[in-house]
Amino acid sequence: MTTGILVYAHNSRSLDYALMSLIAAGLAKKNLNVPVSLVTDPSTVEWMRESNILEKATSVFENLIIVERPITDNQRKLCDGKNESMVPFVNTNRASAYDLTPYNRTLLIDSDYFIFSNRLSEYWNIDDDVLIGQSINDIYSGDRLGYNDRYISEVGIKLYWATTVMFSKTPRAKTFFDTVNFVKENYKHYADIFRFDNRQYRNDIAFSVAKHILDGFINLDSGRLPPVLTTLDKDILASVEDNKLTFLISTPLGEKYIPASITDTDIHIMNKQSIIRHGSQLLEMI
Amino acid sequence: MSFGYLLVVSEHESVDYLKLAYGLSLSIKNTQREGYDKVALVIDNKEKLLGLTSSWVFDHVIEWNQETFWDGRSWMDQLTPFDNTVCLDVDMLFTEDYSHWAEYFIENSELYIANKTYTYRGEVITGDYYRRTFTKNNLPNLYSLYTFFKKDSKLAEEFFELGRQIIKNPVEFSNLFLSEHKPKVVGTDEAFALAAKLLDITDVIAYPLEFPRIVHMKPMVQNWPWPADTWSDHVGFYLNRYGKLKIGNYQQNGIVHYVEKNKIDDEMINILEEIAWKK
Repeated sequence: MTTGILVYAHNSRSLDYALMSLIAAGLAKKNLNVPVSLVTDPSTVEWMRESNILEKATSVFENLIIVERPITDNQRKLCDGKNESMVPFVNTNRASAYDLTPYNRTLLIDSDYFIFSNRLSEYWNIDDDVLIGQSINDIYSGDRLGYNDRYISEVGIKLYWATTVMFSKTPRAKTFFDTVNFVKENYKHYADIFRFDNRQYRNDIAFSVAKHILDGFINLDSGRLPPVLTTLDKDILASVEDNKLTFLISTPLGEKYIPASITDTDIHIMNKQSIIRHGSQLLEMI
Repeated sequence: MSFGYLLVVSEHESVDYLKLAYGLSLSIKNTQREGYDKVALVIDNKEKLLGLTSSWVFDHVIEWNQETFWDGRSWMDQLTPFDNTVCLDVDMLFTEDYSHWAEYFIENSELYIANKTYTYRGEVITGDYYRRTFTKNNLPNLYSLYTFFKKDSKLAEEFFELGRQIIKNPVEFSNLFLSEHKPKVVGTDEAFALAAKLLDITDVIAYPLEFPRIVHMKPMVQNWPWPADTWSDHVGFYLNRYGKLKIGNYQQNGIVHYVEKNKIDDEMINILEEIAWKK
């Protein structure tokens, strides 16, 4: 059985997903000791060439899987500490992972999820065709999380986090990804039934709805990856030294920051701009 | 050794409790294994059963109209015709076969009272909005809506006797033992919890188990981000023709305590009757 990691990167004018995916891939490859493939598009590859990371990318990635850039008008408010901006999100093709992956067992990760431990290795041989991050754990405390970080809506189903998804090439997993795709293509219909906000497509919601449907409309304890340790976009990655990442963590009322450091711990960093600012130090870690 | 479910109803000015008991009994017949599907109904006037299409779903009918001003369920030990009984609230529906729960209690318990309930989304209910009396007075979190007991149990006899004394003398017991937060009414839940505490038998009659799994639909404990008066303003209640029940986007597989008495309407009853007739 082949195992490997899959990352998606479609650059936007605002964010260098190519660089982030390279860092995420390098760290995952180093700490999980499996190959990594990238799903990307011609313009993002061109950007890699322009920004002089293509050579590094071809050494880190086992495969560059070139697809058409998805057409989307998804936009999202993103913070960089206290600064806010609307940025485009090109991430609507995640359901294609089943068809595109070259591996029998795949760990699909977001490009802002950095793996510093081998904890997820425990899941390669779990007897579940599809596993998804079961929740997020805020690095500060649960107080900063909103209702919509736990459920897809006020009365709706549990929200899983597609930041980490592991799956096998099996009919059941194919059904799962087909269902994700069906939910995506009929997003408004499912928003009516599941009562979520459909103004922007969100992978986490499509994956959660598909899991809920295929689990028989109940919360199953199976099919879950560990909670995703997360720093919010109001937090700032302040320094990268040796194996230590230090963040400035925004307190719940946003009035002050407190420092927090991690080592050897997988982390989802929502403040993408601060990843980019530390790109060269992070690249040195891979 | 006989086993059965005991339902207690009496006349009420605005709620047809017999209809609710009928719906529950139909759902028991539709889902439980033979031998674990017997139902006894305690009612203040047997004549009312004449209005039901399938009153055979009640295997025993016991006419009883004493002490109607108390909660009749506190007399469950003296009213049951079974050696082993689960006394239920009537505003509930069975959605799956729970015969194995009954088997466990028959084998292992003299008296067991539900002490955990779930939201329609399957989360354990931790909120105490309706249970301040319990938390403030450090009472065990008992739910009398599912009470198992053996008829020949001394423990059960002593427990139910004290429960009745508490219900008979609410002011005295409240002043003495519930002073931190007095309930408006000392109901069966409060009386059973206080009796368990006074007899120091909570560990014997309410030890942690994964069952009975009861979905409790009181709206303020559904983990919603806003206050709610009635849950049906926010989520749908869908019983299909196979008797499968969904609330909101969740398939229900526990006993559903639906709370809102108008949920069991004629359409629901027709669905449950058809399933029972075809079984």
